[in-house]
Amino acid sequence: MTPGLTRYVDVASRFQARDTATTPAWLQRVRQEGLAHFARLGLPTTRDEAWKYTNLAPIADGAFVPSATAGSTAELAAVVARLALPGPRLVFVDGRLSPELSSVAGLPRGLTLKPLRDALVEDGAFLEAELGQRALAAEHAFTALNAALLEDGAVLRLAPGALSEVPVQLVFLTRGDAPVLASPRILVVAGEGSEATLVETYASATGGGSGQGFTNAVTEVTLGDNASLKHYRLQAEGDAAVHVGGLHVRQGRDSRFVSHTFAFGGVLARNEVHVTFAGEGGDATLNGLYVGRGTQHLDQRTALDHAVPRCTSRELYKGVLDDRARGTFHGLVKVRQDAQRTDSRQQNRNLLLSEHAQADTRPQLEILADDVKCAHGAVVGRLDAQALFYLRSRGIPRAEAERLLTYAFARELVDAVPEGPVRASVEGLLAPKLPGAPRTEVTA
Amino acid sequence: MALLSVRNLHARVGDKDILKGIDLEVGAGEVHAIMGPNGSGKSTLASVLAGRDAYEVTKGEVLLDGKPLLELAPEARAAEGVFLAFQYPVEIPGVGNLHFLRTALNAQRRVKGLEELDAMDFLQMAKEKSKLVQLDAAFMNRSVNEGFSGGEKKRNEIFQMAVLEPRLAILDETDSGLDIDALRTVAGGVNGLRSPQRAMVVITHYQRLLDYIVPDKVHVMAGGRIIRSGGRELALELEEKGYGWLGLQDGKGAATKGGEARR
Ligand SMILES: Nc1ncnc2c1ncn2[C@@H]1O[C@H](COP(=O)(O)OP(=O)(O)OP(=O)(O)O)[C@@H](O)[C@H]1O
Ligand SMILES: [Mg+2]
Repeated sequence: MTPGLTRYVDVASRFQARDTATTPAWLQRVRQEGLAHFARLGLPTTRDEAWKYTNLAPIADGAFVPSATAGSTAELAAVVARLALPGPRLVFVDGRLSPELSSVAGLPRGLTLKPLRDALVEDGAFLEAELGQRALAAEHAFTALNAALLEDGAVLRLAPGALSEVPVQLVFLTRGDAPVLASPRILVVAGEGSEATLVETYASATGGGSGQGFTNAVTEVTLGDNASLKHYRLQAEGDAAVHVGGLHVRQGRDSRFVSHTFAFGGVLARNEVHVTFAGEGGDATLNGLYVGRGTQHLDQRTALDHAVPRCTSRELYKGVLDDRARGTFHGLVKVRQDAQRTDSRQQNRNLLLSEHAQADTRPQLEILADDVKCAHGAVVGRLDAQALFYLRSRGIPRAEAERLLTYAFARELVDAVPEGPVRASVEGLLAPKLPGAPRTEVTA
Repeated sequence: MALLSVRNLHARVGDKDILKGIDLEVGAGEVHAIMGPNGSGKSTLASVLAGRDAYEVTKGEVLLDGKPLLELAPEARAAEGVFLAFQYPVEIPGVGNLHFLRTALNAQRRVKGLEELDAMDFLQMAKEKSKLVQLDAAFMNRSVNEGFSGGEKKRNEIFQMAVLEPRLAILDETDSGLDIDALRTVAGGVNGLRSPQRAMVVITHYQRLLDYIVPDKVHVMAGGRIIRSGGRELALELEEKGYGWLGLQDGKGAATKGGEARR
């Protein structure tokens, strides 16, 4: 074991040693198994195929510890007010639930939203059955570490047929005054024919300043037959934060899943999306936009498992990389032998804005069925010189023209968000990173 | 003083010389036509005047209202009043046509110390100007030139010219790809923008355009030089006799006696 790994293991062991008398046995077991898997798997290195492009040096020394409390200061309340969408929300500070900043008023009928720490006590049997079913601690070091420290997070349940127009929001703030390890776990179980929108917003309470901190989030989603979920991950912490997020989804028959990943923040961020089609006729759309500058390293990993016939997947990820930022995309589409009539399209496009920015792209298709439609492609390019000259020839200064073209490249993924408060939130978080957006657009 | 003076202009791409000594004077209020075979350097001249950095100017100078132009960035030339209607207007997905044009106009106004136009005022003005070339409002709302037909792109160029009100307009084959009605419309738009304060350089292959936009002078380019200049009748003569009449083979290659042929 490296000294760093030993430190993580010590931290988790100490965490697990608290309150053993009051912790249910099943939960102790989940945490212990998580720790055992983590110790066995160790922190990934660039020698691991799945982490080839990403050096975990910023967290390798294991100097991060869970926070004891959340707290709610006026400053935090102001940050939440800026990020909050209309509708029910749970707010976490340094990984701990802040009841004062949370509000579940206006939760639509048929939806249950509970802090994980409450659900662990009140809904033990349900959680014991559902936790760790989609995200497997045995296979993923960070899922295992998250399980070892399982305590805070959220449980969203949709009754069969429940329909929600208002988004449910989970806000995760990193205060950034201490090297905190936050390990939220989110569980979504959507009953047959239900529909909802879930937004996960990750930000720094310092308003994007330095703000160290390591967030290791795991989201597990189970969609019943014909259920529909729109999921947004707005990952916009400050420039010193580290973020590892895993979204693991299992789709039932004829279910629809749309994921929008916006990765703007952190010195190091890894956003994973794993989708398994478990019932025929499922439809998944994975959208991603990553925007890095400075020395940011933004790593996207997606895996679509077409395990059954007649499912459709659409994937579009775009990266905009400036300064010395590095973006990576590794997208796997697996079509199993039985998965006939799979229809899958995957695209990754990257725009480099500086000589020193870098993009690595690795679209990967594994097709074992023969009656399928699959397409994929990847591009790494620069701003189009002809378009740039055209704009400048009309009087638009170079820098402004570059901003216009950069936003034009990225906007497809912003426009993919239906108009409304979520779109406005995305635009607000994106504005300082991509200033080329039209402020007021009037149409003739 | 001429509005535009081009003196002994040489330009190249890489180690390929394209412009080999262009001299051209265009006065305020004048319209000059430039004709000449494919590859003779007409678009290169237009691009060099607009400031495209793919071309390296190796000799000569260009003055706009007596001020040196070549040292300016393209956006600064635009603010000085240079406008190029592109032979191949560029499609720019994701940038709205109106937003683009308002950004351009306001950037030019900033340079001139004028107040920026807000979205509503701009919209009203743009609608007015679009009538000049009968460009439908639907095109203003789309991305710049994206999915426009050839003719729609050309109209959009003239629409932009109408909004930006340049001092020097260079129209590079704005007539090519236009049907007869569109040609009339576009020519009408251009004529509407003729003014004693403005100079125009119209690059074309067809005498037909010059029936609508009547030039004060006609120049023939070949092999990177202007090999013949004359009045309107030169275009008619060319139409009748072809470039061979000027000693050019199949409209290709340099003039056999370029220097002497010039008037
Ligand atoms: N960027 C470039 N790189 C290499 N060659 C170029 C470039 N631009 C122009 N040329 C060459 O320079 C010559 C002049 O081209 P230009 O486009 O100016 O001709 P033109 O007179 O406008 O022709 P046309 O009537 O076909 O539009 C051609 O031989 C062309 O291939
Ligand atoms: Mg040309």
